[in-house]
Amino acid sequence: MTLSHLNARGEANMVDVGDKASTRREATATGAISMAPETLALLSDGQLPKGDVLATARIAGIQAAKRTHELIPLCHQLALSKVSIDFDIDREASMVRVSATCRLSGKTGVEMEALTAVSVACLTLYDMCKAVDKEMEIGQIHVDAKQGGKSGDYHRREIAQETVAPIVTSPENSPALTLGLASAEQQSVRVKCLAELRERLGIGETSVPLDRLPSADVAGLKKALKTLDQRFSGLEEGRVLCAVNQVMASDSTRLTCDDEVAFFPPVTGG
Amino acid sequence: MIRVQQERFDAGDVQQAMLQGRSDVGAVVSFTGLVRDFNERPDVTALTLEHYPGMTEASLAEIEDEARRRWTLEDVSIIHRVGRLAPGDPIVLVVVASAHRRAAYEACEFLMDQLKTRAPFWKKEHTASGDYWVSERCQDHADARRWEGGVQ
Repeated sequence: MTLSHLNARGEANMVDVGDKASTRREATATGAISMAPETLALLSDGQLPKGDVLATARIAGIQAAKRTHELIPLCHQLALSKVSIDFDIDREASMVRVSATCRLSGKTGVEMEALTAVSVACLTLYDMCKAVDKEMEIGQIHVDAKQGGKSGDYHRREIAQETVAPIVTSPENSPALTLGLASAEQQSVRVKCLAELRERLGIGETSVPLDRLPSADVAGLKKALKTLDQRFSGLEEGRVLCAVNQVMASDSTRLTCDDEVAFFPPVTGG
Repeated sequence: MIRVQQERFDAGDVQQAMLQGRSDVGAVVSFTGLVRDFNERPDVTALTLEHYPGMTEASLAEIEDEARRRWTLEDVSIIHRVGRLAPGDPIVLVVVASAHRRAAYEACEFLMDQLKTRAPFWKKEHTASGDYWVSERCQDHADARRWEGGVQ
């Protein structure tokens, strides 16, 4: 994978889109601004000194989307066919969630426009409310979905947030990874990397659909893992042990649906 | 009794609880492992112990079963700590009670040798010059192999 905005010398490069086919492009981005419950109440009741906060932020977001090329150096100027901004007042989390959808028929994607719209709408919300609340925080800005174009459709995957890390006694990172689009209804095996191996590979837990395994055993799982993410080639470096359902196993150990496979370095307790 | 815990333990309390109300025990051997301030590097300031919950307890139980098959033992206690520990802190406790001393001595040594090479614990040492995961030691494997091929 390469960065299309850098040329062979690593310099900034505006991508030539002249030969790309025009397709219908759409992108949705979301973000949020959290604030004190009192501020949120004033905002939703229209009681803030600067007037109708949401209407102003909506116009600001639309204007910003249209001017994205002026802000982001290598973005093309686009003739957007539609920009829509939506607000969701979340009283439980005490925040305003902002969502922006941009659309056009053209040669480049519109996710930068959607991100810019969300960002500027959030900034405008801050500006409109800052007289009563300076603690507001803008965050969680990301692309939710993108359709059309050569790179195909994209939908942001929500990574399952585990509240407790079951393996680790140290509060260190246990990065989760989704491989091969394993979904809940698919038959899959669960994979854990422990201790030094977890830190070396940068992968704590993942799952792999059973049908991606060339053979239904540990050796087949290793092959599938290496195909799905090259970081798993680290399984071949040094001595790496394996347990299936918490019992020591070998390459020839058979795997079935929902097995828990752990890879780890030689043990050093006592 | 097998326990994996973050809290400190008191070897004396554990031994006393094992012997409470019984007079058939003729020998108790207890081993306590402590955090050294030198290991792969000379200035260890702390240790973090990670384990694999579930498998840890199961593997310790299996090791205890093997010891009970080899020797006639009245009681066995194994406590292993996890989390962050400082030099001088106790990490592991193995207490074996039996009718005669030889079984207690040998079983205690067997349990420690097996625990060090089979139970899924991993140590990370923190030093002034950086953190690193502790490597396995050949000596530990040699120690564990002494027990291959039945009772000595």
